[in-house]
Amino acid sequence: MNLTNTLDIFPDRRVTQMLFKEVKNAAEMRQSAVEGKIQAALINPTMLVDPFQVLVAANKAVHLHTIGKMKTRSLYSEIIFNLSPTNKISDAFKRFGVSDEDDAVMVVVVHSEDELKALSDITEIVDGRQVPVDDLSSLSDSAKIKKLYKVTPQEEKCGSLLDAVVCRMAIKDVL
Amino acid sequence: MMAVSEFLSRAELLKQGAEARVYRVQLLGRPTIVKERFPKLYRHPELDKKLTHRRTVQEVRSILRCRRAGIPAPSLYFVDYTSHCIFMEDVVNSCTVRDHIALLQRSDSPQQLEHLEHLAEQVGRLLAQMHDEDVIHGDLTTSNILLRAPGSGSGSELVLIDFGLSYISALPEDKGVDLYVLEKAFLSTHPHTEPLFEKLLQSYTCSSPRATAVINKLDEVRLRGRKRSMVG
Ligand SMILES: Nc1ncnc2c1ncn2[C@@H]1O[C@H](COP(=O)(O)O)[C@@H](O)[C@H]1O
Repeated sequence: MNLTNTLDIFPDRRVTQMLFKEVKNAAEMRQSAVEGKIQAALINPTMLVDPFQVLVAANKAVHLHTIGKMKTRSLYSEIIFNLSPTNKISDAFKRFGVSDEDDAVMVVVVHSEDELKALSDITEIVDGRQVPVDDLSSLSDSAKIKKLYKVTPQEEKCGSLLDAVVCRMAIKDVL
Repeated sequence: MMAVSEFLSRAELLKQGAEARVYRVQLLGRPTIVKERFPKLYRHPELDKKLTHRRTVQEVRSILRCRRAGIPAPSLYFVDYTSHCIFMEDVVNSCTVRDHIALLQRSDSPQQLEHLEHLAEQVGRLLAQMHDEDVIHGDLTTSNILLRAPGSGSGSELVLIDFGLSYISALPEDKGVDLYVLEKAFLSTHPHTEPLFEKLLQSYTCSSPRATAVINKLDEVRLRGRKRSMVG
């Protein structure tokens, strides 16, 4: 049920996405992430259109990490920051990070080919039901997404909502 | 070496231009075009970096501005502002308007003229829309407009590319010069197409209430161009 992709530009880096529903311990998970006990980005799936959006954020985070130009303190906070259309770090966490009362969580881990323990460690901490990552489409809140990314109706005529979202993520540094 | 440069060294090179190299790659599962602006060694390094950065920024900003207004331009996936690379949607199953015009001209279909005129009208409409958003393309040619293979769904079939020289301006003069650049390129790439270009301009004029002022400026610019060539 995990979705693992290789980052083309960084061939030794994998990104694994795991989607959980009926999560009962989001607060505890978030706390563990803050304390560094979980090495992962915990994302609110209602703000995600598609796993590709997460890959775009992760690719950029790994890139900025590699060249020492991250805007936040860790690779995982950088992934969350990259999802946001604005450059305010606190906004990004509020909108894209998991909140204590959430009952669905997208967990994103960046790892090497043989680092599979990092993944099982996380599944152990989550009190919830893992579902296929493609179930994202049933959780995502497109009205909220359109509002936050300021997607215009005309824009949806020449491309998908996903395209509109990743464009804004790619360009936010120079807005 | 930086990861991005190393990645591109293994990629398929599509075009080696004077300012940039264009590659075709797969990125995160999607067919992707990479435009890499490289340093110009004859320029002062600091100045060169600033100019190259500015072009990259102009290009991505104009693409977003067009898309927001419903004007098709490639979607953006990733921008590396350090190595000045733009990773964008590869508009698959497309050809340039340049190649398509040439193809139509060689065909002996009875509808040849009709198809050419339809295409010219589409281009005119698209450019009027772009100028209504105050985007000046800066390098309009028939190679910088792609035609998506007919029947691939999504409404309008034309896609604007290569916004590296673009900027934002509401001045009819700037829009007139934009059309003048296209006219020069159009008539030299496609000889004996004056009536076709006239169709393009007619469609441009009909598509925007602000077009008349632009066409008047185009006439002025043409006159200046002619005077200059008489002197020089
Ligand atoms: N986004 C794109 N999708 C498909 N082909 C492209 C794209 N961008 C550029 N090309 C092709 O690459 C050539 C050079 O690109 P450019 O330097 O941007 O004009 C164009 O004439 C097209 O044939």
